[in-house]
Amino acid sequence: MTDIKNFLKSLISMPGLSGYEAPVRDVIRETWQPLVDEISESRLGSLHALRRGTGPDPRPSILLAAHMDAIGLMVTGQEAGLIRFTEVGGVDPRILPGQEVTVHGRELLPGVVVQPPDHLLPASQQGKSVAMEYLFVDTGLRQDELAEKVRIGDLISFAQTPVELAGNVIAGHSLDNRASVAALTYCLQDLQFMNHAWDVWTVATVQEEETLGGGFTSAFELQPQIAVAIDVTFAKGPGANDWRTVNMAKGPSIGWGPNIHPYIYQKFVEVAEKLDIPHQKEYMPKHSGTDAYAMQVAAAGMPTMVISIPLRYMHTPVEVVSMNDLERTGRLLAEFIRRLEPDFIEQIKWENEVSDESKE
Amino acid sequence: MKSLIKKLVETVGPSGYELKVREVVRTEVESFADEIRVDAMGNLIVRKGEKKGKGKRIMLSAHMDEIGIMVTHVDKNGFARFTTIGGVHPRTLYGSRVRFLDGTIGVIGGERQDNSGSLYKMEQLFIDVGADSPEDCPVKTGDVAAFERPFEDLGNRLISKAMDDRVCVAILIEALKQMQDNDHEVYFVFSTQEEVGLRGATAAAYSIDPDLGISVDVTLTGDTPRGVTMDVVLGKGPAVKVRDSGMLADPRVIDLMVRTAKAKDIPHQMEILLGGSTDAKAMQISRAGMPAGCVSVPCRYVHSPSEMVDIRDVENAVKLIKAIVSGPIDF
Repeated sequence: MTDIKNFLKSLISMPGLSGYEAPVRDVIRETWQPLVDEISESRLGSLHALRRGTGPDPRPSILLAAHMDAIGLMVTGQEAGLIRFTEVGGVDPRILPGQEVTVHGRELLPGVVVQPPDHLLPASQQGKSVAMEYLFVDTGLRQDELAEKVRIGDLISFAQTPVELAGNVIAGHSLDNRASVAALTYCLQDLQFMNHAWDVWTVATVQEEETLGGGFTSAFELQPQIAVAIDVTFAKGPGANDWRTVNMAKGPSIGWGPNIHPYIYQKFVEVAEKLDIPHQKEYMPKHSGTDAYAMQVAAAGMPTMVISIPLRYMHTPVEVVSMNDLERTGRLLAEFIRRLEPDFIEQIKWENEVSDESKE
Repeated sequence: MKSLIKKLVETVGPSGYELKVREVVRTEVESFADEIRVDAMGNLIVRKGEKKGKGKRIMLSAHMDEIGIMVTHVDKNGFARFTTIGGVHPRTLYGSRVRFLDGTIGVIGGERQDNSGSLYKMEQLFIDVGADSPEDCPVKTGDVAAFERPFEDLGNRLISKAMDDRVCVAILIEALKQMQDNDHEVYFVFSTQEEVGLRGATAAAYSIDPDLGISVDVTLTGDTPRGVTMDVVLGKGPAVKVRDSGMLADPRVIDLMVRTAKAKDIPHQMEILLGGSTDAKAMQISRAGMPAGCVSVPCRYVHSPSEMVDIRDVENAVKLIKAIVSGPIDF
């Protein structure tokens, strides 16, 4: 068995920015290979791993999608031996100055994010955190050396190593959404000891942070009967306390909103209650910000669900998650899957209205 | 090629109303096509060659539509209020002329401004077609128009409205004319409704189901006084898109374009565009997905009535497209 915490630490030590997921995909493939019956790649590079169920043919399938791409930076030009950059995915520029990064040029180059002295900035930028267009990466190279080794479009990834905090909590970059990839791995390990009727597609999707490209295309290709996005969500923290946030270390959040099929929601809650798996309800009144948004309308459409791991300081290089939440997420998914009867999908009826407050 | 560009840019065809442009394109391409059809979205789809051996099915897309306006109301004195089709900015409008599909010409005027230095809001602008009342006004609610501005040839540099994206329509026509049969099956798609959400290309990509998608579109430049910070320069060759705000180009496609340009000695530059996207975005996530990318033509003053391109970039883009669809593709 793979130790999930060590696996997660290796995942968040990897690059694999949106559109360029190959490095992390190779590590996931190696870990998933012994846990599944088949493994392949989509045309965009999403990893499709199939674990066959024991139900009669034709077997229904459930798709579990966790995006493996990470946010980061991209070179847009050079000025006086420094690298100008933009973001891949949404990066909070306030936390960038002083960060260690790796520049993926013709060779890997260590670098640091720097900002100009305050008095040299335009008046509109003085005395506050600096917009991304005024930040640079310094690699230490001479101007001519840099021009030779780095070109427009090269990637810049975060270089911070994972930190284990007290209380079974881990901090690092790319926990969005490698924490969910680790949770899927936990689920696959649990399923080794379970009898499940349905086929299970565990999918590590690409380009979620930019276009939901993996969600759209893998759901179209695999056409499962149910699709679940596993992602991270905003945990309460400094200045983040309203209805859009959930508690860290109090279990996975079970999504509720237009991207979620109410019947699937109800079944997940039933499983969590039955097994005393701590869980929270997360309100997603609009775009869930996950692959579920794309999968729901792929091909002829499908019932979708969102299960999230609470995470603090999203889209910074110091994201924080609780390993307890991660493991509970994996367990909840596995327990849900083992309870899927061969005719589960026929039980779903829009007419069975599910009350929002039924489980409150 | 300049006369083809002139003919294309001077035709009226806002998103959803590409009929006249389509007829110009059809006349140009008919005798070079192995198959030609118009789909439900109005895309003109031209097939050249048949997939053989290690060949690929390739979709090339350049959009026929341009930004424009639609009349929302004609007032009692014959002035037409309007809304926009695609990304029209009010700062480009006052004093501009528009041409409706039936040929009617109007000038855009504006209400009196309290502060003469401020920009017009869209709702303060109106079109004057020379009428005095709704009865004698030749345009009605729902009528559409595009900018009216003549094509100007400055030598290397060309100015016109609708360079976005007719200059790339011209590039695809020229590439089609020059293309020799090979193992690839190439679909030249002259797409519709790009400016309002890549809608033509979305449908065309689904029906063609290609192995590789490449759009050809204009991109901004960073070479004008105190302009946007961007490394693309007019005249330094077609740009290989790495990303824009809607898509990360597939690294395999970027590599194919760069290698092809280097092998054929075609000047080129790398592009990162922070505002806007192209038909390639729709292609990339069509069906089960496909490798997608974009060859861009540098263009100044995009979405104004006077967009400027460099004919050398245009000619080099033809060479690059032609070389890409003529050589081996191994992914």
